[in-house]
Amino acid sequence: MHLAIRGVSKTYTNGVRALRDVTLDIPRGMYGLLGPNGAGKSTLMRTIATLQEPDTGSITLGDIDVVREKDRVRRTLGYLPQEFGVYPGASAERLLNHFAVLEGFTDRAERRRVVEALLRQTNLWDVRRERLGGYSGGMRQRFGIAVALLGGPSLIIVDEPTAGLDPAERVRFLNLLSEIGEQAVVILSTHIVEDVAELCSRMAIIDKGEIQLEAEPLAAIAALRGRVWRRFVAKAELPEVERSHRVICTRLQSGRTLVHVYAESLPGPDFEPAEPGLEDVYFSVMAGHQGARAVAAPLEVAS
Amino acid sequence: MTLGEVFRFEVEYRLRQPSTWVYALVLFGIPFLMMHAINGSSQYLNAPVMVANASALLGGIAMLVTAGIFGDAAARDVQSRMHALFYTSPLREAHYLGGRFLGGLAVNAALLLGVPLGLFLASVMPYMAAGKFGPVQPAAYAQAYLLLLLPNLVVIGAFMFAAAALTRQSLATYPGGITLYLLGAIAGRLTNGVANQRLSALADPFGARAVALATRYWTPAESNARLIGWPDALLWNRALWLVVAAGAFALLVARFRFAHPNGAARRRGWRRRRLVDTAPERIVPIASMDVPDSGRSFTTAGRVRQTLAVAAHEWREIAATRAFLVILAGALVFAFAYGWDVGSEIFGTSTWPVTHLIAGTVLSGALAPVMALLIAILAGELVWRERDMGMGDIAAVAPVPNGVALLGRFLALAAMLVTLQAVLMGAGVLLQALLGYHRYELGVYVKLLFGIKLVDYLLLGALAMAVHVVVNQKYLGHLVVVLYFASTVASELIGLRHHLLVYGSDPGWVWSDLNGLAPFLAGFVWFKLYWAAWALLLAVVASLFWVRGREGGLRARLSLAGERLRGPARVAAATAITLIVTLGGFVFYNTNVLNDYSDPDDVAARAAECERRYKRFEDAPRPSLAAARMRVELYPAQRAAEILGTFRLVNRTTRAIDSLHVLPSPDVETRALRFDRAARLVVDDGVLHYRIYALDRPLAPGDSLSMSFQVVSRPRGFRNAGAPTEVTPNGAYIDRRWLPALGYRAGRELVDERARHEHGLPPRPLPPTAGDVEAREAGPGARGVELVDVETVIGTDARQIAITSGTLVREWREKGRRYFQYRTGAPVRYGGAIVSAEYAVREASWNGVRLRVFYHPSHDVNVGRMIRSMQASLAYYSRHFGPYQYRELSIVEFPRYAAFARAHPHMITFSEGSAFLTRVDSGDVDRPFFVVAHETAHQWWGGQVIPAEAAGAPLVSEMLAQYSSMMVFETAYGREMARRFYDYNLDEYLRGRSVYTNREVPLLDVTNQKYLYYFKGAVAMYTLRERLGADAVNGALRRFREKFAGPAAPPPTSRALYAELQAATPDSLRPLLSDLFEHVTLWNVRADSARADPIGGGAYRVTLFVDASKARADSIGNQTPVAMNDLVEVGVFAGPPRGGSPGETLYLRQHRIRAGKQTIVLTVPRLPTRAGIDPYRTLIERERDDNVAEIGGGTRRDARQDDP
Repeated sequence: MHLAIRGVSKTYTNGVRALRDVTLDIPRGMYGLLGPNGAGKSTLMRTIATLQEPDTGSITLGDIDVVREKDRVRRTLGYLPQEFGVYPGASAERLLNHFAVLEGFTDRAERRRVVEALLRQTNLWDVRRERLGGYSGGMRQRFGIAVALLGGPSLIIVDEPTAGLDPAERVRFLNLLSEIGEQAVVILSTHIVEDVAELCSRMAIIDKGEIQLEAEPLAAIAALRGRVWRRFVAKAELPEVERSHRVICTRLQSGRTLVHVYAESLPGPDFEPAEPGLEDVYFSVMAGHQGARAVAAPLEVAS
Repeated sequence: MTLGEVFRFEVEYRLRQPSTWVYALVLFGIPFLMMHAINGSSQYLNAPVMVANASALLGGIAMLVTAGIFGDAAARDVQSRMHALFYTSPLREAHYLGGRFLGGLAVNAALLLGVPLGLFLASVMPYMAAGKFGPVQPAAYAQAYLLLLLPNLVVIGAFMFAAAALTRQSLATYPGGITLYLLGAIAGRLTNGVANQRLSALADPFGARAVALATRYWTPAESNARLIGWPDALLWNRALWLVVAAGAFALLVARFRFAHPNGAARRRGWRRRRLVDTAPERIVPIASMDVPDSGRSFTTAGRVRQTLAVAAHEWREIAATRAFLVILAGALVFAFAYGWDVGSEIFGTSTWPVTHLIAGTVLSGALAPVMALLIAILAGELVWRERDMGMGDIAAVAPVPNGVALLGRFLALAAMLVTLQAVLMGAGVLLQALLGYHRYELGVYVKLLFGIKLVDYLLLGALAMAVHVVVNQKYLGHLVVVLYFASTVASELIGLRHHLLVYGSDPGWVWSDLNGLAPFLAGFVWFKLYWAAWALLLAVVASLFWVRGREGGLRARLSLAGERLRGPARVAAATAITLIVTLGGFVFYNTNVLNDYSDPDDVAARAAECERRYKRFEDAPRPSLAAARMRVELYPAQRAAEILGTFRLVNRTTRAIDSLHVLPSPDVETRALRFDRAARLVVDDGVLHYRIYALDRPLAPGDSLSMSFQVVSRPRGFRNAGAPTEVTPNGAYIDRRWLPALGYRAGRELVDERARHEHGLPPRPLPPTAGDVEAREAGPGARGVELVDVETVIGTDARQIAITSGTLVREWREKGRRYFQYRTGAPVRYGGAIVSAEYAVREASWNGVRLRVFYHPSHDVNVGRMIRSMQASLAYYSRHFGPYQYRELSIVEFPRYAAFARAHPHMITFSEGSAFLTRVDSGDVDRPFFVVAHETAHQWWGGQVIPAEAAGAPLVSEMLAQYSSMMVFETAYGREMARRFYDYNLDEYLRGRSVYTNREVPLLDVTNQKYLYYFKGAVAMYTLRERLGADAVNGALRRFREKFAGPAAPPPTSRALYAELQAATPDSLRPLLSDLFEHVTLWNVRADSARADPIGGGAYRVTLFVDASKARADSIGNQTPVAMNDLVEVGVFAGPPRGGSPGETLYLRQHRIRAGKQTIVLTVPRLPTRAGIDPYRTLIERERDDNVAEIGGGTRRDARQDDP
């Protein structure tokens, strides 16, 4: 199974161009889609999930035309939207059972097995009889993934699943995802860089509706090695540094300002080499030092 | 300050919503279009009363907008999860709620301006037909807005807002609104009756009853011009309900807390158990990651299971909730409020709550609008719930075809409707039990609630779901569905008469205990099948537009719909269209080919043409019917009849008759028309049903000929509206209208003046006056009266009894059928009424007269009363007026397709809907007794004394019957009851005046104005009886009868009757007699104040300040004051009021009263409590509640009075 997105564009009626000529190839495994808020991540995810129509372009999953053959895709699709609600009065078992019917498990015994397996998988078995209205955010998110996993999908789309989860929940959830990634195409959209760094074998960075970079996270980091430099600066110096260097990011550390800059060689005496992380990749792409926007310095990306 | 900010924000937010502008368009557009659609109102459409009524009606529809706006204002924050930000701000609850409420109110009030604006602009459009609108009165619109629309908005808005804010559910606005409605309905029920109309007006939350009360007696002239003004009752009503609304809002402020909606405020410990998440940090190894994905099925069987699962799921989510229980409870209360005195009749009586009334009138008829709203809401919830809950995306990607999702929801809706109907059925039975009626016919419930109404509801449900899917905005969807429902109810008004054009409609039905639904079933079923095919098409449309995902734009949805129109959807659409065409064709064949479908306009055009072409023959000499021999074969099971008849026609005129004008009935097939002498058919107008035969040898005066004919009636297929009900499986009622008539019938002419004008006819000439007629030649038949010898043989079903006027000569059975032969003993007025059904018979007698009641076996409650009434009536009339002319008298019941009671020679036909089922508890007006007395009186008035065909004729028959029955009634039930009865009659008369087409004339010239000859007639005769005494009046009537009864006597006119009454009236009362009969006279007397001063010896001098006036009115109620110099009763009373009396009478005497303010001084022996003029309200007055004043103490004077 392999998801091919070719030249997908989408403009909303209010004139916002949410996607511009997006082309991606997504193989089996976890695939991270990184981008700031409003970059077009959710639009792309929904388009793949058959909830929106692209203006142009095609999407195929194996031999299925996602745009035209919605019913076929849906049989093999799991989708966890960015925001979703639950019927507060229903129990997890009850509601999952309902979705199991919708997913085609019309045989009662079969359905019971599936529901039990998924509830155990998502650690909701013990609370399966409780009202969903009483669930915590993490439990609700796990319930969502249980619904998405019904029917053994070969394409799973999870849209910003870790937002709002506490650290333990987040770890638990990501572990669950990575295990699913063994068997299917999993697209994980997020604006949290660590999620991608920890899980995804491949990733793309999207901004303003365009793919800025498509890469393997490790390769992208490796490609940046030796080009990221760091330095602590005083607040007053910052504008000067930003003017004379290609700043990737600045952040406060222990009350002082730490600056990462991008340079082919040591940019100045006060700088020291920094070990790049995925965050540096992300920010340098967003800042235009790298990726589609970095016309001046095209970067070799291992494929 | 913060209140102001919340308010401003709300207004700005609301103005940015597209829905607001849609609402504005709707609220302006509906009134605007409505004014275009309504045609044929006799009142100016912009008359203040019309503006007020239209505003009240539109205000009702606008409540859906109010629900949308206030529901959103109250619950938006919680639904959009913004509430935490507001709840934690330093805002005070009262400011938050107040600002939101006032903001919504301001916007809604502005939107509501569209109603008067739309009504007004439509009225000044230059292309509008002249005469449709009167002079522009801006104040009419201002008053309608300020007195009705705006206060109603505040009241209903407060209830809706409170309900939504407290429950944090925007949909709770509907129960909130319904609560208010119920409060009003219940208060209205509790305060029903003539006596406390004021209270009842006060209890109506929407003010409509107060407007009705203020304008109830307005004449057409007044209604066209007069402003509603600021009537007290309305102002009090508005004040009361604004206070109630303020109370509701105050309750809301007191109860509302900024607290998390599911938080501590609602403690439900057993459900709020704390959940412990038992998930481990690490999860299970990959090996167990084995989610089975086998066993999925996407076969048809699987789809069926899925459909059922969706239905079950939606049922659990919507029906198995508290909200649905609240809806059920609401429907029940509604049913009870409406059903409690279902079948109210005239004179404050009501019908027993028989099952078809409860199941049909209450649970099917009155509840239908409520059910429509409910269906709109339930369909909306079914379509929206998933998305509202935030599960729309997840559900959308489930591999379920749209059809399954939709059908499942529709099944859930069907299940809810079945449940509702079942609960309503239970409520109906309970209601019957509580009302003390114990014949529960469950079969009738099932037929009406499940056989008829459920089908209607399901069709509407299919439409509602399709609307919600396509419109894709919940509140707008509700509005569209309800508007649609309203438009179907009013489809006749907008000119859609063919039921093939109004979704879900049918030819209509009437339940009868005798027949069930038999005559209407075929039409109903075929029409519904046709509409079911449309419902299928709607379902296909819904599945094409079913929202799945995030594409909300119209263009995207259209292209998606186009894409979905493949495979099964295409097949379903094609099937639906094929069915629509085939079934529609079949229905059309039945309604328009097998049966005659005519627009009312075509019918009118035909009547006009007939008048133009043949009216010139109106005065052509015609022979009179002298004898009729009929052989009638009824085939109840086939609803068919065949009549073979022979008429013997005599020339009673003084000229020879050379041609016969024969008018066959348009309703039946008339064939084999023959004469016993040579005649040529010279005109055969099949369209207008007019034939002229030229006689080879003219019919000389006194000579006779015989005409034989055959009449056949056989229903073919079904009709667009109604069904022929003359012959039904159990209950045939046919009369002379089926038989060929001789000579031009003025009765078939167009009556409505506007219609006559449209069809180019001159105004209708007035009927000949009494004077004209009296000037004509005398002799039998000369004044349009025929007396006929009749012999009738009727064949009918073996189980039925057939009855007609005449003595039963022979009865036999032949070929499994039953035959009856009747023959009249002496010539009678021939109505040709023949009745046949399966009857129970009860017999009695009076002085050797055989009395019988033929009735449907279950309709026996009032049979005893009817017999008592026949006995009492025969006794009174024969003693006071003259002997009864027959040896028998029967009452015969017929199905309730018509609602009258009618007298024939020694036979009274009585509709099952008239008095057979009236409930008479002690203290009630005994209506069955009264109606039987009235019809029995017709054996004298109309039977013995037959009025000449002239203006005033109903005075001789109807007014005298009304008077006679009142006398029997008073004899049996006492004066108090008679007085109550008088009050009802006066009320009916004054109401009748307000109808434009009722053109008022003096009693002596009355023609077809029921409200005059029944009600004013009763009032006038009662007044006369009060003043002259019963002996004088009865004596006059006896003399009148003696002069004019019998075949040899000349038929009398109203003048002849009046002359007898005049002869019995002393000179002092002649002016009153003239006021009552020769003019339209209205009095107005008022006791301004009264005081009593002790004059020693325990006696008091009472000074009564009164005001009086008298006026004459023209035909549309324009009044001219006239001088007054009348004897009017003045009374002084002590102690508390009792029954209809203001107290114990200390003084009651006639005083001569002139117009204007005047003072009356008199002496009474004891301390009085009140005094008044015309205290028993015998004058014809529009305001009768001010006739009596409380006595003020010693020197105190009322501020209003000015001492002359």
